[in-house]
Amino acid sequence: MGSDRPVREAENRLERFNEDRERLLAEVERRVLAHRIAVARAGGDASLEYVLNDVAYCEIRRLEASGAGDAAIQRWRDLSRRLLTMAEPDKEEELRSLVRHYGRDVVGNFDPRVYRFATGIAPALLGFVFSPVGSLREGMAAIGSLDARILADGELDLVRGCAERGTLIVTPTHSSNMDSPAIGLALLRAGLPPTTYGAGKNLFTNPFISFFMRNLGAYRVDRRLKFELYKDVLKEYSTVLLEHGYHSLFFPGGTRCRSNIIEKNLKLGLLGTSVTAYRNSVRQGAPHKRLYIVPVTINYRLVLEAETLIDDYLAETGKSRYIITDDEFSRIGRIVEFFRKILVHEGSVVVRFGRPLDPFGNDITDDGESIDRAGRIVDPASFVRGADGEVTDDDQRDAQYTRALGRRLAAAYPRLTVFHATHLVARAVHDLITAAAGTRDIYRLIRLPAPQLAVERVVEQLARLRARIAANPAWGAEHPRIAAQPAGAVVDDAVRGLSSYHTRPIVSRREQTLHVDDVKLLYYYQNRTAHIPGPGPGPGSDAAAEAEAP
Amino acid sequence: MTARRDTIGIAGAGPFGLALGSLLAGAGRRVVLWSRDTAVVEAIQADRRSPRLPGVALPALLEATSDPRRLAGEARFVVLAVTSTRVRERARELGDVIDGSHIVVHAIGALAAPSNDRVSQVMEQGLPTLKLGALAGPALPDDLVEGNSSSMVIASVFDEVVAEGRRLLNTPPVLRVYGSHDLVGVELASALSGAFTVVLGLSDALGVSPGTRAVLITRALAEASRLGAAAGADPRTFAGLSGLGNLLVRASERSADYQLGRRLAEGAAAAASPTEGARAALAGVELARRLGVRVPVLQGIAAVLTGRLDPRQAANLIGDTVAEAE
Repeated sequence: MGSDRPVREAENRLERFNEDRERLLAEVERRVLAHRIAVARAGGDASLEYVLNDVAYCEIRRLEASGAGDAAIQRWRDLSRRLLTMAEPDKEEELRSLVRHYGRDVVGNFDPRVYRFATGIAPALLGFVFSPVGSLREGMAAIGSLDARILADGELDLVRGCAERGTLIVTPTHSSNMDSPAIGLALLRAGLPPTTYGAGKNLFTNPFISFFMRNLGAYRVDRRLKFELYKDVLKEYSTVLLEHGYHSLFFPGGTRCRSNIIEKNLKLGLLGTSVTAYRNSVRQGAPHKRLYIVPVTINYRLVLEAETLIDDYLAETGKSRYIITDDEFSRIGRIVEFFRKILVHEGSVVVRFGRPLDPFGNDITDDGESIDRAGRIVDPASFVRGADGEVTDDDQRDAQYTRALGRRLAAAYPRLTVFHATHLVARAVHDLITAAAGTRDIYRLIRLPAPQLAVERVVEQLARLRARIAANPAWGAEHPRIAAQPAGAVVDDAVRGLSSYHTRPIVSRREQTLHVDDVKLLYYYQNRTAHIPGPGPGPGSDAAAEAEAP
Repeated sequence: MTARRDTIGIAGAGPFGLALGSLLAGAGRRVVLWSRDTAVVEAIQADRRSPRLPGVALPALLEATSDPRRLAGEARFVVLAVTSTRVRERARELGDVIDGSHIVVHAIGALAAPSNDRVSQVMEQGLPTLKLGALAGPALPDDLVEGNSSSMVIASVFDEVVAEGRRLLNTPPVLRVYGSHDLVGVELASALSGAFTVVLGLSDALGVSPGTRAVLITRALAEASRLGAAAGADPRTFAGLSGLGNLLVRASERSADYQLGRRLAEGAAAAASPTEGARAALAGVELARRLGVRVPVLQGIAAVLTGRLDPRQAANLIGDTVAEAE
C-alpha cells in the first residue's frame, strides 16, 4: 500500500505559514465554538455560562496574583456579573470573541528571512561572539567548529523519509531552555525541516529571543491560563497545524525535567492532538496524511540551568515551582558563559533521533508503514473506525491511545540516551559515596562532610559501569567521542567539565584524590543514569555479573 | 442479515464458547464461531450439536466456521474463549485477520501458559488492535445453557469495549454483564481465584471446620486484594464477580483446581499436570516477591505444590502466619 501514496519532496512547509495563518485561526475558532456550543446543550458544567465563568474566575485570580491594576481585573468582574442575565446568543458572541482573543495570543509567525538569517548568518556570528577569542585565529576556528558542537545522529534517514511521506511530531526529552535552539539546529544539521512548536510564554519576555522565536514558527503557550477554554484553543490550534502538514515539536515531559532523570511520566495534552488530527484527516478522506511521532533525546555535557533545576527538585514537596522565570536562562551573562565554556566543546550537545511511531504507539517499517507488535503491517486508519468502516469520535478511546503512545515514547528514551563523561563519572562517584555512606537518600548525603575519593577507585568503578552499559544497549550508549577512550581519560575529561561552568566546581582533583564539592549537582548529573540499576545484587548488577563469572 | 456491529464473534469451540454462543443466538443475536477443528465445525453446521456441549441443540443463528477471515469480516466484537495454553497461538492467528478497529475480549480465567503473563498482555503482543478486554465471573457453561441466572464482568480501559461488551452480551435474565475499568484487577482476581480453589480443595479434603474454611476464604481475599493493589489494580475488584464470585463457584468437584487440592491432601505429588490454579499460585508468589507483598496463603499452597511442605503442615503454617501478621 506504500508505493501509491503521494510522496512529497521534503520541504520547509513553514514557508507557507504566513499565507495560511488567517485560515488556520478561522478554522480553530470555528471548531472550538461549534464544539463548545454542541456540548453546552447538555447543561451543567458544560453550559456556556459555566465555561465563561471559568474563564472570568481564572483570569481574575491570575491578575490579582500578578498585582495587575483594577482596570484589567474589572473587565472580568463585569463579565462574571453580566453572565447572570445574559441571553444565549450573547454568550455565544462573548465566547467567540474570547476564542479569537486567545487564538491570536497563541498563534505564531514564520518569517523566511529571519529563518535564513538565523540558520545562515547567525550561527557564524554567534560562533564568533561566543568563542573564547584568545586570538583571531582561534575565533575563526571556533566558527568552523560550530557544526561539531551540536551532534545530530540516530535514525536520520528514516526520519527524513517520514518528513517526506507525512508530518513529523518531534518529541524530545526536556532539560533546558536551550533545548529549542538545540533541536532547531539539530534538525537543520540533519537535513530535516524546521518545526513549529509551543513555547512557554515566559520565554517571550526577552525581546531578542522573542523576536527569533516569534518568527521561527513558535507559538505561545501561557501555562498560567488554566481554564478549559484556553486548553481547547491550544489543542485545536495544534490539531489544525498537524492536519495542514506542519511539522511540530512537543516536549512531552511538559516542563524542563528538574531531576535530570529520563522522563517516565509524560504529559499527554498536546501529544493527544496527534490522534485527533489523524482522525480528522481520515474523516476528510485523507488517511494517507500520516503522522510520525519521533522520540528524541537531547543530551548535554553540562546543563545551563542545572543549579536552579536541582534546587527546585530538592525543595520540599509542594514547594517546587511549575514555571521558573528567574533562572540562569534569564541572565544573559550566564548564557554567554555557557556558550563560551560549554558549547565550544566538540559534540557537547548530542541530539539523538529514534525510530518514529504512529499516533497509536505502533512501530513503523522503513517505508513508514505502521506495524503491530507481531510485526504485521496494520492500517492506522482502522484504529479510528467503527464496525462499518465509519470514523468514530471517541475522546476516551483516543486518550487511551495517547496513553499507549506515551508509554512507548517513555520506553524509547532510555535506549536513546547518550552518556557524556560528566554523567558516567558522576554516577561512578555517586555509587562510591552512597556505598560508603550506607544510604542513597540525597537529603542525608548533602549533609555529609565533603567526600574524598582515590582517583584510582573512581577509575575502577567507572570501568565497571562502562562494561555494564556496553552489555545493555537498552540503557543507552556512551558518547561516540569517549567510547574509545580509556577510563582514566574519561575521568579527566569529566573533571574538566564538572569543574568548569557551574558557580563552584562539582568535583576537583588534587593529586590522586578527587574532592566532591557539590553533592547536589553531582546527584543531578548522575541522575541521567538513574534508569540503570544499582551496582548491588540484582539482575544486571556488578555483583550479579561477578557471581556469574567462572 | 444482521449488521456487522450486532454480530458476536467467538474464537474457540470449548464448552464456554459454545454455551455463550448458544445463549446469545437463542436470544436472537447472530454469532459466528470460529474453531480450527473442522470436525467440530462440520458437526455444528450439520447437526446443530457438539460433543463438547452434550445434549444442547445449538440455535440456527450460531454459525460455525473454520475460516478466521469470516469471523473477522462478519464480526467486529470477538470473544477469545480458548484454553490458557493455546492463547498465544490463537491470538497470533486471529491477529493475522483483524485490524485496529476490532474489539477482542478474552474469557480465560487464568494466566497465559507458559509465561504466566496476564492474557491481555499476551493479546497485546499478538493482536493489532489495542481495544482489548477481559470477560470474567462465575458463569458456568451449564448455567448459561440451562437458563440459570448468572453474571459476568467485562473489564477494559476503553469505555467502548465495556459498552459494546455489555450491549452485545447482556442477556437477562440469564446473563447479566457488569462493566469495569480495572482490567489488571479482573484478570488477576480471576487467575488467583483458581489458586485459592486449590487451597479450598485441599482444606475440604483435610476436613477443616466451616469456621476455619471461612477464615481461609476471607484471608485469601485479603491477600489477593493487597497483591492486586500493589500491581495497580483496585483492591475492591477481588471481592467482586471475578474474585470471590469465581472462587465460590469453582470450589466444587467439577473444577480441576479443586480436584488437584483434594489429591494433594491425599498425598499425591503435584508436579505431574499443573492446573491453571497451580500455575497461578506459583506466579502469584513470584509477583508478590517482586512487589514486596505478604501472601501467606499463596506461599503455603506453593510450598505444597513444590513438595516442600506436606499439606497438614501447610495448613497449620498458613493459620499461624496469617494470625501473626494481622
